[in-house]
Amino acid sequence: MTVTADVRQKRPHRRSIGKDLMRNPWLYLMMIPGLVYFAVFKYLPMWGIIIGFENYVPFTGPIKSAYVGLYWFKQFFSTPMWLTYLGNTLLLSLMSIVLTFPAPIVLALMLNEIRNMHFKKISQTLLYMPHFISIVIVVSITYVIFGADGIIYKLTQKMLGRSIDYLGDPGVFRWMIVGQSIWKETGWGTIIFLAALTNVDTQLYEASMIDGANRAQRLWHITLPSIRSTIVLLLVLRMGSVLDTGYEHLILMSNSLNRSVSLTLDVFVYQNGIKGGQYSYTTAVGLMKSLVSVCMVVTSNKIAHALGEEGLY
Amino acid sequence: MKKLVSLVLALIMALSLASFVSAENEEITLKVMLPDFNSDKDWVTLEDGNPVLQHIYEATGVKLDIQWVADSAYGEMTSLTVADPANMPEVMVMQGVRDAIMISTARAGAFWDLTDYIYDAEEYPNLAAGSKSTYDNIAIDGRLYGVYRSRAYARAGIYYRSDYAEEAGITEVPTNVEEFKELCFALAALDPDMYVINMCKYVAGTIGITTVMMGAPYQYGVDEDGTIYPAFEDPAFQEGLDFLRELYEAGGIDPNFMTIESGSWNDAERSTPPKAIMRLDCLDNGYRYQEWLETNMGADPENPIVALVTALPNDEGDIQIWPQNIGASGEVCVCKTVSEEKLPAVLKFLDWCSSEDGTTTLNCGVEGCTYWIHSDGYRYTYPEGEDANKDQYTLYTNTVLHSLNQLGMNVHGDLSPKAASTILRNWYNNNLIENAQYVISNPCYTLDSETNVLMGATINQTVEDAQVQYIAGKIDLDGLKAVYADWHTQGGDKILAEYQEAYDAIH
Repeated sequence: MTVTADVRQKRPHRRSIGKDLMRNPWLYLMMIPGLVYFAVFKYLPMWGIIIGFENYVPFTGPIKSAYVGLYWFKQFFSTPMWLTYLGNTLLLSLMSIVLTFPAPIVLALMLNEIRNMHFKKISQTLLYMPHFISIVIVVSITYVIFGADGIIYKLTQKMLGRSIDYLGDPGVFRWMIVGQSIWKETGWGTIIFLAALTNVDTQLYEASMIDGANRAQRLWHITLPSIRSTIVLLLVLRMGSVLDTGYEHLILMSNSLNRSVSLTLDVFVYQNGIKGGQYSYTTAVGLMKSLVSVCMVVTSNKIAHALGEEGLY
Repeated sequence: MKKLVSLVLALIMALSLASFVSAENEEITLKVMLPDFNSDKDWVTLEDGNPVLQHIYEATGVKLDIQWVADSAYGEMTSLTVADPANMPEVMVMQGVRDAIMISTARAGAFWDLTDYIYDAEEYPNLAAGSKSTYDNIAIDGRLYGVYRSRAYARAGIYYRSDYAEEAGITEVPTNVEEFKELCFALAALDPDMYVINMCKYVAGTIGITTVMMGAPYQYGVDEDGTIYPAFEDPAFQEGLDFLRELYEAGGIDPNFMTIESGSWNDAERSTPPKAIMRLDCLDNGYRYQEWLETNMGADPENPIVALVTALPNDEGDIQIWPQNIGASGEVCVCKTVSEEKLPAVLKFLDWCSSEDGTTTLNCGVEGCTYWIHSDGYRYTYPEGEDANKDQYTLYTNTVLHSLNQLGMNVHGDLSPKAASTILRNWYNNNLIENAQYVISNPCYTLDSETNVLMGATINQTVEDAQVQYIAGKIDLDGLKAVYADWHTQGGDKILAEYQEAYDAIH
C-alpha cells in the first residue's frame, strides 16, 4: 500500500512549471538552444509582415514607412489576374496531394515486401539518389529527353503516330511538374514510412498467416492500419505547405506557350517581389497564402480528430 | 608566372615611391559598391599594392575601398544595402534607373540630388559634356540622382552568313526591308534542315528589331492627335509579326525556339553545319560570330563571311532602329553617407572617371602593367612578342583591374587607346555613331504610371507570350486580338490613361 502511495506522490498528473523546472533543470537547459532558434529565426522575422500593411521603402525602414492598411490586399483582388494565380495554385496543389502524397506509401509497402535484403538495400540507395539532384539538373534532363530531339519525344511519336509537345503544351505542363516531383522525392519520402513499418508487430502477421490470410489481406488488414496514424500525421503536416508550389521549378519549366498555367502565387511573389522590388505588395499576397495554409492545417487536424486519429496536436 | 607578377609589382612600387599625390587634390577615402563580373578571381587592394588603384590615387587623391558584389546577386544586395542607411557605401552603382527600388530609394532621399552639379561645366567639364537626352532618361521627378553609365545606342541590327546567301543566289546585302524579307525567304528555301533566324526564349529583341524596322513604335507610340497607344496596335507591328509567322511556316525558324534558353542562343549558329544562319540582335554579336568562325572554322579574316546590316529603309522610306537600351546601363549614385563638405571632392572624382585618363584607367588599367601599346600603335593586353603568354597576363590583369570598368561612366565615350580591330569591328564602330540618329525611343519611358509599376510587367508578358504563340501558329489573329483586348481590361487602359495624363502635362 505504502509503495503505491509513494509512486502516486512521485508522479502527479499535472505539475506547475516552476516545480518541474526545479526537478529537471538540465532538461530545460538543453531546451534553451532550441527555443532561441525558434525565437530568432522563426518568431522575430515574423514582424516583417507589417510591411504588408505599409508602403515599405527599404531606405526609410519598416518602422517609419507609411501605413496603408489593407491597400495591397485590395490591389491584388482588384486585378482580374488574381483568379488565374489562385486557380493555378490550387489545381497544382490538389494534383500534388492526390498524386505525390500516396506515392512514397505505395513504394514503401513495395520495398517492405522485398525479401532479398541485398536487393532491397541497393534499390533503396538508388531510390534516394534523385533527392540530391538539384531541380535545375532535373529540368535540364527533362529538356533533353522530352525535347524535340529527345528519346521519349521520338518514342511516343512513333507509338502514337502524333507528337506530344511535352515542353510547350499547357495541358501537359502540370503532369510534367508533378511527374518530376514524384521522380525526385518519392524515394526520399519512403524513409519515414519504412521506419513506421518496422514497428508493426510481427506476431500479427504470424497469427494472420495461421488464419490463412494471403499477402493482399495482410497488407490491407494489418500493415496499413498499423501505419495509419503516421500517414494521417504526415498528411496534416503536408496540408500546411500544400500551397507552396515553389517558384524555381515552375519558372524553369515555363515558356511562352505554357506560361498561363505556370503562374502561381509563389511565382507572383518572386516575379513582383524579389525581381520587381514591390516588397509590400508581395508580402501581403504571401501573407494571404500563409493564412489559407494555417486554416488548412487546423481544418485537416480537426478532421483527423473526428476520424479518431491523434493528428498533429 | 609568379616571377612575372613580382617583377611587375616591384616595378610599380618603385614607380609609386618616386611619384607623389598632386597637391591640388585633397586626399579622401571612398567606399564604393560595384557589381562584380570576376567574382571567381582574386582582388588586390590598394594596401596590397594594386597598381591600378595606386594610379587612381596618384591622379585624384582618392583611395578606393571597393565592396564587390557578384553581379548575379547585385539586385538583392541593392535592396539590403539601402535598407541600412547608416552603413551604405558612399558611391554605388544602381543597375536599374527606373525600377521600383531606384525610384523609391531616390524619393526617400538616400542619394544626393546632383542636378545642380552635373551641368556645371566649370567644375565638372566631363560630367557636363554628357548627353542631355540620356540624363533626361534617368531623371526621377525631373531631378538627377546619379551619373549614367553610357552604352552605345544603335547596337541593334541583322547579321547573317553571306556565304549561304551567295549559295541562294543573293550576293548583295539587302538595302531595304523588302530585300531583307526576300533574303529570308530565299535562305529558308535553301535547305530544309537549316533555319534562317536564330531565335530563343528571349524574343523581345527579335520581335522588337523586326517591328521597329518595319515602322512600329517602341513599346508605346503617340499618334497625330497626341494619343498614346501600345506599340502592338500599330499596323507595322502586325506586319512584323506576320512576316515572322510566314517565315516560321516556311521552315525558317526552329519550331522549339521558345524552349531554348538565352544562354544557348549561340549554339544554333555555332554548330557544323549551322542550324540557323541569321540573327536579329546586337551587332557586336555579329563580329564575335565572325571571330569565332575564324578561330574554329578557319574563316578568312580579310573576307568576312558574316554580313552586318542595319538602318534599312522600310516601305515608306523611313529608317528606324530598335533601341537596345536608353543610352545608359544603370547609374552611379552618391549616397547621403557622403557629407556635404566631401561631396565636391567625390564629384570631382566621378568627373575624372569620365576623362581620358579616367576611362583608360577604369577600362584598361595602367600602361606597361595591364595593357601595352605595340609598334602598330594599337592597344594589346600583353607586351609585344609575348603572344604565347597572353593568358598569364590576362590572369594578372583580372586580379588588379577586376570589374573596375563597372565604375566607368564614359559619358563621352570610351577614350582609351584603340585596340587592334577587324573589318567588322571597324564597320560596327563607325555605324554606331552614324546610326544613332535613327534610334527611336519609348515616349512613355520617363513618365510615371503607378499601374504600370504594379502590373505592367505581368500583363505585358501575357501579350508577348501571345505574340510568340501567333508566330508559332498556335493561335490565329482573332486569338491574338483577344489577348490584346484582355490587356486593355486587365490594367492596360489604366496605364494608358496615366501615361496620357503625364504626357499631356508636359506637351
